Amino acid sequence: MKRLALVLALVAFAAMSLVAADKTVLKFLYYADSSQAGYADDMATWAKFKAANTDIDLQMEILFDRPYAQKLTAYAAAGTVPDVVYMWPTTNEASSLLQSKKMMKDLKTVLPADFLANFTSASLDPSAQTSKQLSELPQSFTFTTVMYANVGLLKSLGLSVPKTYAELKALVPKLRVKNVQTVLLPNADKWPAQSCLFSTISGRLLGDAFIDNVLAGKAKFTDKAFVDALAFYGQLYTDGIINISNVQMGYGDGPGLFAANKAAFIIDGDWRVGAYLTDKSNGKALIDPAKQASDFELLNFVAIPGEKNVNTASAIAGTGLGINKDLSGAKLDAAKRLLMYYYGKEVQTVKLETGAFIPTRTDVTSSKLEPLSQKQIKYYSTVPKTTYVLDGALDPTVFGPLNDGLQGIPLGAQTPAEVAALMQKAQDALPKK
Amino acid sequence: MARAVRNRAETNWAYWSFITPAFVLYLFVFGFPIILSFVLSVSNYGGGKMFGGDPWSLVGLGEYFKLANDSNFWLALKNNIYIVLISVLGQIPLAFVLAYIIFRKIVRWGEGWQAILYVPAIISVIVLGIMWKMIFASNGLLADIINAMDTQTFLTSLNGLLANGLNVTDDFVTKLLAISDPRALTGFTNPLADIKDLILSNGYTTQNLEVFRSDMVNLLAPKWTPDFLSKQDIAMIPILFVTLWVWTGMYIIMFHANMQKIDTAIIEAARIDGASELQVLSHVIVPNLSGVLANAAILCIAGSLNTFALIWAMTAGGPMNITQVLAIYMFQNAFIGVPNFPLANAISVFIVLFSFILIGLTLLVERRYGGRE
Repeated sequence: MKRLALVLALVAFAAMSLVAADKTVLKFLYYADSSQAGYADDMATWAKFKAANTDIDLQMEILFDRPYAQKLTAYAAAGTVPDVVYMWPTTNEASSLLQSKKMMKDLKTVLPADFLANFTSASLDPSAQTSKQLSELPQSFTFTTVMYANVGLLKSLGLSVPKTYAELKALVPKLRVKNVQTVLLPNADKWPAQSCLFSTISGRLLGDAFIDNVLAGKAKFTDKAFVDALAFYGQLYTDGIINISNVQMGYGDGPGLFAANKAAFIIDGDWRVGAYLTDKSNGKALIDPAKQASDFELLNFVAIPGEKNVNTASAIAGTGLGINKDLSGAKLDAAKRLLMYYYGKEVQTVKLETGAFIPTRTDVTSSKLEPLSQKQIKYYSTVPKTTYVLDGALDPTVFGPLNDGLQGIPLGAQTPAEVAALMQKAQDALPKK
Repeated sequence: MARAVRNRAETNWAYWSFITPAFVLYLFVFGFPIILSFVLSVSNYGGGKMFGGDPWSLVGLGEYFKLANDSNFWLALKNNIYIVLISVLGQIPLAFVLAYIIFRKIVRWGEGWQAILYVPAIISVIVLGIMWKMIFASNGLLADIINAMDTQTFLTSLNGLLANGLNVTDDFVTKLLAISDPRALTGFTNPLADIKDLILSNGYTTQNLEVFRSDMVNLLAPKWTPDFLSKQDIAMIPILFVTLWVWTGMYIIMFHANMQKIDTAIIEAARIDGASELQVLSHVIVPNLSGVLANAAILCIAGSLNTFALIWAMTAGGPMNITQVLAIYMFQNAFIGVPNFPLANAISVFIVLFSFILIGLTLLVERRYGGRE
């Protein structure tokens, strides 16, 4: 009897192994914030994909923020890039090797032309990616500087929404008496100040032409104009608009503090809208829809004294999924199906409705958007022109000292001129093209 | 004679038979990574598959010269030396004295104290790092305690100004400014006029003095922030403190266990001969445990040079890399931003060499000054 049971168990094990062997294993490194409202909906879409594609053994690894970047870099470094990865279009630190070493397939050669025809032409522009090919299909066009405003809080204190820097500065003591910070910009992770604020400051005061000139060797970061832009950034702290404590505040801490009326504004990317929407899995929202409608706005950053490019904001082709260049046969077919599912109308509509992003897929619309998502679309219309996000335009060895400096300047550990000099030194050390 | 030779050959054969598998395994697990790390440090390997990927070759010691000229490297090394010093000259003496106090029953409930002091060592360093990060945060426990005291002092002074009610004159505002935190005034172009205007525009009256008090505390009371955490050298102090706190308990256990092996008759004899507790400690216990002390120092040095998790959780090496140590510096070069694998490997080779030097020094000191157990 025991022998029979053993034989049956072995047969069952062998049968299961055969079934598993029939499946195409697809390793997928995915980026998602489990604390974000749309997480459950996101996971539901993947569960649906698995159910509809029983011939694919989808092995997902889900990480967020710094752990994601480190894991992806480690995979790329070891030459073990998963079959499908979530990635950035430029040399943003997480995708540096993937883009610069062309470790991903050109999706224009993988995805059918009639499928790609559903996307905006800007998202299909290979020149927007460091690899100069469609290594990933940008799912959105990302505006990295949005000034989320708690206008309800301002109104309750008898204050109005500022339009200029002087008006913003005038709010500081009036908010401080009520123990409210003026602007939150959590920057312990270094990149937020550069990506979400300084890129816009640079764009407004100098314009993309200056960065192009630096890259061409016709201008230097040590030029007075750039040093002045850094000095203006420092002034935000000395004027009390951004509290010095933000330098050591984790990126994830911002939305909770903002929603709890601890600050009148928070500067973040448009992708953060999703943090405030209703989590359909539990019906809870960091800011409930009624409050979103009445008390919150998404604004363009206030007018900066001396800005040449009025009201511009930094923006860049968004993140998306890419396929490992070594894939072929059944694995490539499975990866292709995954991408076509992800970029399909159904999933992209979920993304839109959960506030993850405004898709680049042109036929995606919804009548179920929460007020903050509707305001996000309205916000785009307030930006007459976009400018570079510096970590998308500069080499990582150059924006590295900038990121450090955007901590060092407010802390008084570095001067704007020192930061500019370090950036120029790094720029000069790059191989000439 | 022939038999003796045969015996020796058999002994040698047996010796090598036993030692070789372990030695080969040791070389594979420890030696190979070190050698590979050195090879990569003198190469131009840029990531991806090592074999079958982009071609790479040996290019020399350039990354080591780059290290020598990199201020971040020297800063990381300096921070590591601080940690080595607090470990070797802090943890070990402190643990030794505490273990001696427990061993000699100078305090009651010695075993209980030992357990309490050991507790931090059994908690994940990541958890401890996050906990201490929250304590030292600008809105953390430490800041709250100090701010509560500062607020009380400010309120006492403010109440003195309000003894006769609220009368917003230039004189009142001048006195208010005098008790205020100077840093709170930096955002005002003309503090006297601006704050007077603010008070008048907010419509405070004698009837709502509580609101006035609360608002003035928010606006003008001294706000302590742990800004020392952003100053070079000083920023390491909390990390050094936590390092001391976490690991001292482990060495207490180690020393206490070894002290129990010492023949108590020697100690009693010394005491009968008139030796004080301090003399017993320095002339009996320390010489007896010099080997243990040397081993503890080696453990400390090795642990200090590869310290990573605690600092990563507390500060991630920031702000501006001022709390960076060699392991974090290596990690950042390997896995953050643009990976520079040769440089990262050069750092790891340096860590190994530096460990050997420090451990060699420790053994020399032990051989020169240590007693015999």
